[in-house]
Amino acid sequence: MSIVQTRLESVKDLESLRQRVLAEQDLIAHRVRVCLGSGCRAKGAPKVFERFRQAAAELGDASLVVQTKCTGCHGFCERGPIVVVDPGNIFYQNVREEDVPEIWRESAVGGRVVERLLYHDEETGKPATTCEAIPFYNAQHRIVLAHNGAIDPTRIEDYLAAGGYAALAKVLGTMEPDEVIDVITRSGLRGRGGGGFPTGRKWRSARDAPGEPTYVIANGDEGDPGAFMDCAIMEGVPHGVIEGMIIGAYAVGSSQGYIYVRNEYPLAVKHLSIAIEQVRELGLLGEDILGSGFCFDIRINRGAGAFVCGESTALMASLEGRVGEPRAKYIHTVESGLHEKPSLLNNVETWANVPHIILKGAKWFASFGTEKSKGTKVFSLVGNVKNTGLVEVRMGMTLREIIYGIGGGIRDGKAFKAVQTGGPSGGCIPAACLDEPVDFDRLTELGSMMGSGGMIVMDEETCMVNVAKYFLQFLRDESCGKCAPCREGTAQMLDVLTRITKGEGREGDVETLERLGELLEDTALCALGKTAAYPVLSTVRRFRDEYEAHVQRRQCPAKECPGLFRYEIDAETCTGCGLCRKKCPVEAITGERKAPHVIDPEICTDCGTCFDVCPFSAVIKV
Amino acid sequence: MPTVTIDDKPCQAQIGETILQVARRNGFWIPTLCHHDALPSYAACRICVVEIDRGGWWQVVTSCNYPIRGDLTVRIDSERAIRGRRGVMQLLLARCPESVELARLAARMGVRSTPYPKVTEAQRNCILCGLCVRVCDELIGASAIARAGRGVERAIAAPFRMPSEDCIGCGACAAICPVGTIVVRMHEEEVEISPFKTRVKLKRCAACGEPIGSELVQQALARRGGPKVVELLAREEFCPRCKRKKLAKELTAAVPRAGSGQSVSQRS
Amino acid sequence: MTAENAERIAAIIQRYGGDAEMLIPMMQDVQAEFGYLPQAELKELAGRLRVPLAQIYSVATFYASFRLMPKGDHTIQLCMGTVCYLKGADRISEAIQREFELVPGGTSPDGKFTFSPVNCVGACALAPVMVVDGEYHGGLEVKSAVEVLHRVVESDRRGETAAGSPARSVAGSGNGSKQP
Repeated sequence: MSIVQTRLESVKDLESLRQRVLAEQDLIAHRVRVCLGSGCRAKGAPKVFERFRQAAAELGDASLVVQTKCTGCHGFCERGPIVVVDPGNIFYQNVREEDVPEIWRESAVGGRVVERLLYHDEETGKPATTCEAIPFYNAQHRIVLAHNGAIDPTRIEDYLAAGGYAALAKVLGTMEPDEVIDVITRSGLRGRGGGGFPTGRKWRSARDAPGEPTYVIANGDEGDPGAFMDCAIMEGVPHGVIEGMIIGAYAVGSSQGYIYVRNEYPLAVKHLSIAIEQVRELGLLGEDILGSGFCFDIRINRGAGAFVCGESTALMASLEGRVGEPRAKYIHTVESGLHEKPSLLNNVETWANVPHIILKGAKWFASFGTEKSKGTKVFSLVGNVKNTGLVEVRMGMTLREIIYGIGGGIRDGKAFKAVQTGGPSGGCIPAACLDEPVDFDRLTELGSMMGSGGMIVMDEETCMVNVAKYFLQFLRDESCGKCAPCREGTAQMLDVLTRITKGEGREGDVETLERLGELLEDTALCALGKTAAYPVLSTVRRFRDEYEAHVQRRQCPAKECPGLFRYEIDAETCTGCGLCRKKCPVEAITGERKAPHVIDPEICTDCGTCFDVCPFSAVIKV
Repeated sequence: MPTVTIDDKPCQAQIGETILQVARRNGFWIPTLCHHDALPSYAACRICVVEIDRGGWWQVVTSCNYPIRGDLTVRIDSERAIRGRRGVMQLLLARCPESVELARLAARMGVRSTPYPKVTEAQRNCILCGLCVRVCDELIGASAIARAGRGVERAIAAPFRMPSEDCIGCGACAAICPVGTIVVRMHEEEVEISPFKTRVKLKRCAACGEPIGSELVQQALARRGGPKVVELLAREEFCPRCKRKKLAKELTAAVPRAGSGQSVSQRS
Repeated sequence: MTAENAERIAAIIQRYGGDAEMLIPMMQDVQAEFGYLPQAELKELAGRLRVPLAQIYSVATFYASFRLMPKGDHTIQLCMGTVCYLKGADRISEAIQREFELVPGGTSPDGKFTFSPVNCVGACALAPVMVVDGEYHGGLEVKSAVEVLHRVVESDRRGETAAGSPARSVAGSGNGSKQP
């Protein structure tokens, strides 16, 4: 059914193709969109999609065209699999395979609403028919994710129908490279990958850098644990990234681009590959793009499993077929990067913003956000928050609005303790700062950072020392091993933290951590090492009392570190079922049937089995 | 010509030079471990850090690879720079407690001991400066050893941790190792490079039987140098002493003895 | 190494136009074809590509996705991302290791499973997540995680009796750590 066959020779060709695509879309009255983002996929969405496809194939009525399509991540992963039915934009959540016939019959064909599968408001119990009526969505402002969930990422027709490649046509047809850079500069766009460097200034430096050729690179090596923004963008709107890159390449005068995708994202690789093939066929990549004389092509490289390759110089080393070791950036990569040539590297989300800015203008983009952080930012809101998922909000929204307004607050009625932002090198922000606006500079002032957009919410039962230990372990394992302070320092810090969480902390341990943290910040080679101590330093700064409780009193206030709290059986709640007694590996539990049981603290090894198996939650941590 | 002011002393510098080069030329001592003049900077050990003025704030940089691009103010002796260098040295001492060479350098830097325990057994007494790998690859052209693994578990090893087929037994790695971890051992018929377990055939002096070195080195040189080198190497069958003896003998035979002539042996 | 395998290496190199810069993609292809990175094949790659074997070895040991030992019949990827960790992934990891005699990055003695704790797989809403042969299992607890794997063993066993021949792809190795 593809009407995309011929090479486009001009901007006019592109527009007439778009008109044909739109005309064809108008013929489709009913549409079922199934989210096939990684989250929904993992929850069984492929089977749901398959059932819909079968149903569509078996539909006997020739007068009714029902299109079934898969889309990228909707963001509301908590409620996946998500299915949206048009007309009406009806939003179904937690859809299981067995729900498909009903949705098909009633909604897709019948045009009615299946109420039981709608989202129901937690407090009022009211159903929401469309996603706009759901708090999770209505406080968001979607630019980069605007097409996620609406278009099929494997169909370029969908992207064209949504206005895709119009920005490229505008750039090639009417703008000089300098004008493009000027628009990006005035928009106030800053790098979404972590550093927050002004994008326009980077482009300017790349354009001005002597030497040829110039390379453009998309960094899709999103490695922060708990972050999947870039994954969703590459999977959901691969053409958005590609279009941004072509525009960037035109602006800085590059003819070769690279997309470096994390190894763990096979679907992103697949969708990007399909997209690149499609645009090559159309002539939007290759020689003489849209008759402008401009030539550019893109190659995809898969990462091979190294977090440090998210660092620009390590990524470039990896692109050259070497070990991903960073090098000093005393000479910037825009001047001497890949193959020691000028190289413009931007994060995937940064690239995906570019077409929108070109089409709607710098002023439009700069109208969102705070003084120095413009536009929106995609966050992956995860952890002990009710509505886990991907959210895109205006810069400057407060943490409270994001966590409570969009995220619905903390799970299981527990209290908020901290939110960790900025990936493993970020910091933990406590409850006292919940009303702070989220932007690049404010997060840095709070002792954390924007990073690539991970936002991990922690409740009162999270031990902050253990959190710090987790990140240190991660960074120790991911340290490339080139520079001594990072390689040896993270190992030494982990050693100290491990002792503290085992109740073997010593006087002066916290000071040792601070001293090592400062050493790493001063002497490590790359950003990974320089910031490796941040999770420790920020938790020491905000939760010093927890460290002291571990070290001085051998207690874990959050009751998470094994051995630093005890298990007891609450006599009131215990029904005497005897399950814990049977399961206890060391026979530390005694008690008559139907009478409260007791744990002997002398025998108990704190393994937690009783806590896990008790059907009445009678085993408590004290 | 830019002026680099180091600890208040103005020094002339060339664009593109490193801080280390300028400092050394002007009599300043900065400790180094992973740096060697024969190789490009690698900046991995971080023991050479100094502070530079960035106009309002001071940045800690590695002197071995920070390029001079204009006037610059550098502090080697600032509290922060010293703290950085000593801190790194303490970490390295914890990794390599047995290296005499490292302890000597530490003492010169004012570091007598380390507060840290040894946390890894990945490789004994190796600071992973990478000099051996780089000299083998970039200067010798053998590429027999590699950095294996990553992070604190990283080690220098030959491929698959087996004797390397590419090692020519030249011993450059041992000569360049700043902490004395790599050793060349002479066996009856082989040269062994420890700890890489590689052994290559030993060449002995055709006259006295003293070990001369690796046979493969000569072959490698011959491959790289062409016929002229092959011709020169053909004379290398003897150890230096025997070569001198042989030459002396030939000369004595060739030069007629004059009454008050110089003794031939004095020429060498 | 057989001549046929040498041809396969040559074909992989050809796929990338013999460009040594594409070493990592080539090694990914070698691993995809052989299940791991066999020594002889890497030597062949080094020779044909004129890249030092030492460089290939350092790349193979640097990146976590490369294996120098054969893998088991089934691969377990346990997500160790922040959210999964906070929700007990480490305890699941310990239990799996105990139950099936595994070490991180290693293969079980019976050659059934290769166990890789991985960084975030990007399915945080399902935490803790385990991916077995590409299939996601979410919201796990210690017990259910172990059960998932027992079911895999069980279905293999039934498959074997039905088909009459075991579906083992490679011989198991006791320890599949990165460094042989």
